Amino acid sequence: MKKILITGLIAGCILFVLSYGGLFLGVRFFPKLFVAYDNPLFNSDGNRDVLFYMHAFIISFALSWFWDRFKVLFKGTLLMRGLEFGLVYSVIALLPVMWISFSSLDITVVMVLSWFLYGLAQAIIAGLVFAKINP
Amino acid sequence: MRYKNILCIVLVLCSNTGFFTHYMGSGAALKKWVVNENSSLSVNGSTNINKFSCVIPAYGRIDTITLNKSKDEKGIVLSGSIDLKVNSFDCHNSGMTKQLQKTLNQKQFPLLHIRFLSLDRLPVITAKPQLITGMVDIEIAGVTKRFGINYQISQDAEKGIDLLGSRNLNFSDFNLIPPTKLGGMIKTKDQLTVAFNLNMKTI
Repeated sequence: MKKILITGLIAGCILFVLSYGGLFLGVRFFPKLFVAYDNPLFNSDGNRDVLFYMHAFIISFALSWFWDRFKVLFKGTLLMRGLEFGLVYSVIALLPVMWISFSSLDITVVMVLSWFLYGLAQAIIAGLVFAKINP
Repeated sequence: MRYKNILCIVLVLCSNTGFFTHYMGSGAALKKWVVNENSSLSVNGSTNINKFSCVIPAYGRIDTITLNKSKDEKGIVLSGSIDLKVNSFDCHNSGMTKQLQKTLNQKQFPLLHIRFLSLDRLPVITAKPQLITGMVDIEIAGVTKRFGINYQISQDAEKGIDLLGSRNLNFSDFNLIPPTKLGGMIKTKDQLTVAFNLNMKTI
């Protein structure tokens, strides 16, 4: 349990920096991709900002538990294990959620694809961290 | 009978000397302007990633603005207002349109009011645009603020009057919070420019 929490925390810190740093750079250098977020579908009064920034840790702890439970199934080099872990998570969890999101919410294909790729990148990075510190 | 005669003399004297118009109000209106339904209003603002321009392309109502001389005889007192439906705004992007309506609290306050209060002088309306200033009360989301406005007034080809006015406002002037998205990474700036183009006729 302690191992799961520690690896989750380490992965959470790394994902926090990379995810929000990447998002910040994305907003700065590709502003047109983010125009569609000016929509009441997305929280606008800032009262959920803390929850938004906690996401990196929520996903890291969840994936840390998942990794600890199923890591024996991911074989090969560190890179291969991280990649496979990220792909498995994306196919099992992200793809169906993106599917139902796109089918039920007034959001664009670009938005859904960017969320999928964002989640895939997060899961691969988390997988690499787990493969390194909790092999 | 004698009292009646005295009263008549006093009344005649008062009306001839302008007593009533000076002390009891401005009397008959100098002019009346009818605001045509094709008048428009725009709200321009920006975020840290884009600019937006939301318009009410056609007013859709007919209203009257009355011009009277002010007590000091220098300025012009206006009475009349335009009432705009917040859900008539079009930001050329459905998401942004909905966001503006939400920010302006459209459900609770469906109308935005501009009440015309004064002009610094009576404009002589010609085809050449003339600059005048005036005061208005703007009511957004139930909060009313008084602003000075720079107008440009001219006569159009059909002998109508074009009154253009614009003013920079802040969301915060009306206790509104400019929206932020994605944990504050996308921020709408507090300042807005409200511009209106009133197409009117003198009656």
